[in-house]
Amino acid sequence: MAKKTSLPKNKKVAKGSEAAKKPIRRRRRRGNQEYSGVTPLLIMLITGLAFFKVELAMLVGAGMLPTFVMAFTVSGEHKSAKLQCVAFANLTGVLFKFNTVLSQPHLISDILFDPINILVMWGAAVLGHALIYLGPWVAAFFLQAVAQDKLKKLNAQKQGLVELWGHEVLGDKEEQQQQQQAPQSMR
Amino acid sequence: MSGEKTPVPSGQTAFGDRYVLNAKAPLVEFNSHGGLAFEVQDKEKPNVPLYGFVHHPTVPIRNEFYKSLKSRPIANAVNPVDRGLMNVDVKGRKQRLVTIFKRPTGGALLSPDGTLHPELNPNKLRHNVVLSLLKALAELHKRGLVHRYIAPTNMYFAEPGSDEVVLGESYSFPAGYKLPTGLEPLELAFADQSCRGEGDVNADFYQLGASLLCLYFGQDLLKNRSRDSLMMARINQGSYWALAGGQEMPGALGSLTKGLMADALDERWNAEDILDWFEGVGKPKRTTMTTWTMNKPTTFMGVAYVERRLLADAFGRNPLDAAKFLKSIDFPAWTQISLRDEIMTERLEKVINVKPEEGYGGPRSDDHFMVSRVCSFLHPTGPVYYKGMALNISGFPGLIAEYFSRDDRETMTSASEIFDAKILNSLTEIVAERNPNFAVQSVSIKKALDHGPSKQLGRGMERVLYELNPIMPCVSSRFESVWIGSLTQLMRALDRLSSVGGGKNILLDRHVAAFCAAHGTDLEREFNNLAASQSNPAKFNTLTADFFGLLQKRLKLEALPHLCEKLVDGLAPSIRELKNKKRREQVQTAVEKLKKSGDIAKLISDIKLTQTQALDAREFSQATNLVRKLEREKNRLMRKVLPTDIMARKRGYQAARMIAFFGLVTISFFTFFGGR
Repeated sequence: MAKKTSLPKNKKVAKGSEAAKKPIRRRRRRGNQEYSGVTPLLIMLITGLAFFKVELAMLVGAGMLPTFVMAFTVSGEHKSAKLQCVAFANLTGVLFKFNTVLSQPHLISDILFDPINILVMWGAAVLGHALIYLGPWVAAFFLQAVAQDKLKKLNAQKQGLVELWGHEVLGDKEEQQQQQQAPQSMR
Repeated sequence: MSGEKTPVPSGQTAFGDRYVLNAKAPLVEFNSHGGLAFEVQDKEKPNVPLYGFVHHPTVPIRNEFYKSLKSRPIANAVNPVDRGLMNVDVKGRKQRLVTIFKRPTGGALLSPDGTLHPELNPNKLRHNVVLSLLKALAELHKRGLVHRYIAPTNMYFAEPGSDEVVLGESYSFPAGYKLPTGLEPLELAFADQSCRGEGDVNADFYQLGASLLCLYFGQDLLKNRSRDSLMMARINQGSYWALAGGQEMPGALGSLTKGLMADALDERWNAEDILDWFEGVGKPKRTTMTTWTMNKPTTFMGVAYVERRLLADAFGRNPLDAAKFLKSIDFPAWTQISLRDEIMTERLEKVINVKPEEGYGGPRSDDHFMVSRVCSFLHPTGPVYYKGMALNISGFPGLIAEYFSRDDRETMTSASEIFDAKILNSLTEIVAERNPNFAVQSVSIKKALDHGPSKQLGRGMERVLYELNPIMPCVSSRFESVWIGSLTQLMRALDRLSSVGGGKNILLDRHVAAFCAAHGTDLEREFNNLAASQSNPAKFNTLTADFFGLLQKRLKLEALPHLCEKLVDGLAPSIRELKNKKRREQVQTAVEKLKKSGDIAKLISDIKLTQTQALDAREFSQATNLVRKLEREKNRLMRKVLPTDIMARKRGYQAARMIAFFGLVTISFFTFFGGR
């Protein structure tokens, strides 16, 4: 009887120890993963244009090649914003010959094989990349200016509090600093 | 230090200009332990002879006596006319309580120097004196009062040549206070002279008998008698013979005196017996001492005692020797042999708890209590003996006052030890059968003495003094020259004290605090708060101001400008401690504005300093937190913003996208609509 009763207990202990050894499964966080709708939109745009006029679809497809390349290669943070920026800039360049292809679709091959046109369309994408590069620099400059302005306001607020409550409100550390500064200034 | 003595109010008297006390005309025959008597002139009725009794502040008075006689004067007694505070120039100008009495002008029957009144003779004594005194006593006893100061020196002829005799006052000091041992009946005489107790009508009749004895023999037989020898003589021969010195007082007057001076209570004559005596049917009574006699003498300190009361007294007066003696004997066996009539139950034996000597047998801490228990067992109707003292419980209020007047703290603490619950219970149990009053008397005193051991402000022995003697003035050294009998007088005196620069931290004066606590109602909370903030002077001053504001409001007192100013000075540190500059200035302005008004209650209610302090502290804490938050924000903003910063990148990319989008929209517009 003793054996029978002891077995389940042992089993339970074993199960418990195995469970303790197993690593806890954690779900992978997907918060940082960005999803950009630019690529499907472009594909849908090209498909739609192909139904309307194949030449237009060809123009967009060829002109937006830098965007497609970027869509499959871009990584890191803010890739959606970056992709959208390049896409918008690239599309601006494509629109340069959009009317010509719309009115004279037979000129599509001339347009696509003209290096100037390709340069304009892909150059627009380069411009988009340039914007991506310059954006943080400009933003940093502006943010710095805003911070300075805020700093002034904070100082004024702090000064107001000091005037109302005295230097004690600054707490021990600053009070000590001021007390230390006072004899130095006396010297 | 002159600033710490309250000045006497100028020209203030409770009687207006009616009574003029002549401090240069003392009336020694009316003096008592409670004060001094002087001639008084009544300006309204110049022909009425009066005397003014200047009370001593440290001696409590019997207020119920004054109230009764003032409202309904008694025919053969010295009756009070009025009383009030008066500035008296006796050993310096002081404000004192003065009672105006009707003055008997015939002179004292026995003058203080022991001279008998020339008109007094045994015949007058028998026919006039006894009857006059009996009338006065009968009326007093009817009112539930006992005189307790019937002495040959306190009886006067009403007028010169008159046969009418009046009984002197007895309200200026506690019952039996410092009276000669011979004037006290045996049941009270064993106690110390400051703690004889209230006594009863039997004590009055004894005193009447002792006074008649003195007047008959024409000399003060009570003076210059050694206590121990007198007590021994009184026990062995009876009080009458002991005081008379073996001289016989013949005739009816002798039998009256013997009857009145009977030591056994059930044999002592009362008013009815005296009336019977007047009618000539009085039966002579003899004193017997069988009740207190022991079956076998006990030798203690070389003296053989056969009387329980004397043995108890000897034990009580020599407690350490008594403890040694008691430990050396087999107490139950000694009781069986010496006190055969006494039923010693097992329980009583356990309560008395006399432990035999063990080991080296040095003195034990509870030896005094053990002796006290044995003394109560031997003399249950007698005083409580403890550490050489003999105290009647009902005389304890007067005793405490006397200790304070002598500033004898040590003895006072010792005396109050008998009210320890454990010892009091055992004493009550021991004397319960023969002295049932003991438990009743001890209850009220025990209640007041609960304050005694406390060190808290408003409590302690000072509180005990004022609780037990509610009529006593505040005896703080600050009020040496003035009489403070009520909180109203206290407040006014404090105002005067403040005017001369005194009164700083007045509530730290234990007498003042205890007086306020005893005389005020519902002040416990205030005193608890004050006691809790004793270590913080600023807070203590604020609470002191709150306290006096409350009193001024409750008592509906007039403006007290000097006290108000003093309290405002005390508030300065608290106001300085306010952190908010604007608030500090506001409070300071309000305080300065109300400082001169003398309205402490308004000052307190307007500035609400306690609440303001709390609000200030709370807001200061919030401001400090805000400053810390600002500091953190400042540190963050002071850092140089780089294009690689998360925020810069985020905003940069968003801006780039926006520019690209606007470019697209513009070019789209020109592409689709520009050509038309």
